[in-house]
Amino acid sequence: MSDAAIALRDISFTWPGQKTPTLALDRFDVQAHEQVFVSGPSGSGKSTLLALIGGIASAQGGSVAILGQGLDALPASRRDRFRVDHIGFIFQQFNLIPYLSILDNVLLPCQFSAYRRERALAQGQDLHAAAHSLLRSLDLAPDLWRRAVTQLSIGQQQRVAAARALIGRPEIVVADEPTSALDSDRQHAFLDLIQHECEQAGASLVFVSHDQRLAERFHRRIALNDINRCASMEDAG
Amino acid sequence: MKSISWIGGIVAAGLLVGYGAHLMATPKTSAAAAVAAAVNAGTTVAAATAASGAAAPYADNAQYKVGDHLQPGPDLSNKPYKPSGKNDGAFREIAWEALMPKNWDAMAPFKGLKLDKMEDGDPRAMEALWKAKKYWKNAPVDPSMDGVSIRIPGFVVSLEREGEALKEFLLVPYFGACIHVPPPPANQIIHVHSTKAVKNIRTMDAVWINGVLKVEHSDTMMGTAGYSLSSVKVEPYTDQAPQ
Amino acid sequence: MSFLFRLAARSAWNRRFTLGLMLLAIALSSAMLLGIERIRHEVREGFSQSVSGTDLVVGARTSPVQLMLYAIFRIGGATNNMGWDSAQKLAKNPAVAWTIPLSLGDSHRGFPVLATNGNYFEHFHYGDGQALHLSEGRVFGSVFETVIGAEVAQHLHYKLGDHIVLSHGMGSLHLTDHADKPFTVTGILARTGTPVDRTVHIGLDAMEAIHLDWEGGAPMPGLSIAPALVKKFDLTPKTVTAVLVGLKNRAAVFGVQRDIADDNSEPLMAVLPGVALDELWQVVGVGENALLLVSAMVVIVGLAGLVSAIMASLGERRRELAVLRSVGARPTDIFLLLALEGLAVMLAGVVLGVLLLTLALVALGPFLSAQFGVTLHATLPAAGELQLLLWTIAAGFLASLLPGLRAYRLSLADGLTPRI
Repeated sequence: MSDAAIALRDISFTWPGQKTPTLALDRFDVQAHEQVFVSGPSGSGKSTLLALIGGIASAQGGSVAILGQGLDALPASRRDRFRVDHIGFIFQQFNLIPYLSILDNVLLPCQFSAYRRERALAQGQDLHAAAHSLLRSLDLAPDLWRRAVTQLSIGQQQRVAAARALIGRPEIVVADEPTSALDSDRQHAFLDLIQHECEQAGASLVFVSHDQRLAERFHRRIALNDINRCASMEDAG
Repeated sequence: MKSISWIGGIVAAGLLVGYGAHLMATPKTSAAAAVAAAVNAGTTVAAATAASGAAAPYADNAQYKVGDHLQPGPDLSNKPYKPSGKNDGAFREIAWEALMPKNWDAMAPFKGLKLDKMEDGDPRAMEALWKAKKYWKNAPVDPSMDGVSIRIPGFVVSLEREGEALKEFLLVPYFGACIHVPPPPANQIIHVHSTKAVKNIRTMDAVWINGVLKVEHSDTMMGTAGYSLSSVKVEPYTDQAPQ
Repeated sequence: MSFLFRLAARSAWNRRFTLGLMLLAIALSSAMLLGIERIRHEVREGFSQSVSGTDLVVGARTSPVQLMLYAIFRIGGATNNMGWDSAQKLAKNPAVAWTIPLSLGDSHRGFPVLATNGNYFEHFHYGDGQALHLSEGRVFGSVFETVIGAEVAQHLHYKLGDHIVLSHGMGSLHLTDHADKPFTVTGILARTGTPVDRTVHIGLDAMEAIHLDWEGGAPMPGLSIAPALVKKFDLTPKTVTAVLVGLKNRAAVFGVQRDIADDNSEPLMAVLPGVALDELWQVVGVGENALLLVSAMVVIVGLAGLVSAIMASLGERRRELAVLRSVGARPTDIFLLLALEGLAVMLAGVVLGVLLLTLALVALGPFLSAQFGVTLHATLPAAGELQLLLWTIAAGFLASLLPGLRAYRLSLADGLTPRI
């Protein structure tokens, strides 16, 4: 329990303006260094779960603890800081800020978090070097670094997003359907890279996806529909 | 609902800019004139405009009709100005009557004439009247007022400006003193030089002035000339007491 | 915090075409707002500097403002003249220290011609009691000599000794010239910054001389009198346009004014210049206020355009905002990001507007000075104008809060997963 990276207990959450709760679960744990596959189609409460983990929303009932820190004890602005300090996010698409350079995109978390900045500096002489090494290990050649964001392919953008999630070695990486926009042959390659890097960094990985083929690569799989008592049976659309 | 508040926000911003522009554009009239304009609605402006086209320029100062003396603020309704006796530092507040010599009598040309005993249309009556008018026009100044520090309210007649600020003006006791009323006699006009040019003052604005009175002598055929004053302070006329 | 600035700057630069248009709109409208204010002040200052030390302007009974505009500023036309006898009588009035008779009506290549006598150069003052000085030459002595103002000399490249021909009336067509009687430039006045600079001065006798063989505004065909012979005739003027009067005692002005108005021999009126100018500004002030309000509205329209441009982009930026939230931006940071964008563009627009105004004044200043005798100075904004600028900036500040607030609320609602 004490070294659980993520620990949710007795959660009951209703979005403001809604009548019925979207998320009600007894328990959701992710241990340190653990890699978990979470299947959560639309309507299963996936967005709510991510909002709770990221500290965007507060559950009306139950507790959320990240790395032992209860999020309810923190005021909203501290939660934002806590999120960037310890969690890296990868989204399905449009991960990057189009008017920033690739390097600036990767280094975004270091602008908002002194903690991640220091951990990144510990890896190389300066931030740029740390970013470069990450990009290289994510299979992005140096000649791509100078390009504008809009000139990259989806796969390349996703890998830049992964670098952004991993810079400064956060303890948790949350990936929300990161491969859904990629071609099937690239999906496995991406997964390989992510898993390898998270292992290297010692980070927990929460990989949310509806693609069951990818689930085989994970030791632990959680179906959100099973644990969420409020999950509706809506189609994933 | 949200869009209403946004539109309201932009409109409010626009009103801010517009109000600022309006403040910039209009000189500040005295508070009393602004308030009294609502009190004296319609009649003064209409009457003055009908009476003489030239009164229209002063329509802004709607509190006063042509020939009016200064009035205090709207709380003391329609009583003419009398000095409150409160002085502003070294400057003694006086009334316009104080500028006339003590022993001068406007009715002097009529002395000895028994008007009620005359026939109708007696030429002596008209001649006496003509003399009286001339006598009144050439009324002398009071030499004892030379060098006195005074504070007195009156109406402005612009003479010289420095850019947009007024440097030199005449102070007269009543409104519209260049159109359809007789001009004030020499001892009821003060030729004011302001040490610092004053902004936002126009002809027929009502002001207080503080300054040292001087009796001017010039060798005109009209006798002694009049009063001049180098004013230390010029402020809008609101009510009696100095603030 | 400085990172948010950079982010806002990069974001604005990314959409520079749309925002650039808005910036231009704001720049032009604030230039216009400031320009109107500047012109207002400068024109008033210019007019009040044009005459000093003159107690009364006497002329035929028209409107005081019209008389002032024509006699002092050479704008407009006289409806009636006053008789020379009345002018003489005025000069003999015991209360009067000096008089300057003025006669207007002719022109020279667009510049007005003023007929007067030596009193003009001795008694006419402007600005802060400054007298007229000749930068070159001397006052006209014999009939066909002229003294020209500094602007006339500069604009038409005249020197002492040049010959010029006067035209009848104010038109620029040369159909009605006094070509048979040219004038010699004997003096050039130093620059005054008043309508004196644009004036060609001749003697009253010269005005009579050139119209000797004219009748009713046109030359009499066949009748011509050579310049050398004009002195054989009586060159005393019959009428003048106006007379400037200086009194021995300024405070006596009302009495003299009343005497002139009551004089039944000729319908005259006497105007106090200061009072007439106040009246003029009162009349003009209404229009000025209207212009200012219109410009202010245009500024608002510019700001509204900017705000709507930024708001419209918010829809497609929700993903971007979610990304920023995921890397630790607080809703307040999102608010600041959007507000700073608007604020930056608005500030840049206002600064650009001031620059545009300055450029316009530098470019147009000489033209306006030549046409109207009013100098516009291309200086930095004065106190009054700065106040107007600050109001504009305040309005823009308020306006740019709006997209910030919307982004704030969107960000709160969307969190990490916006529904688009």
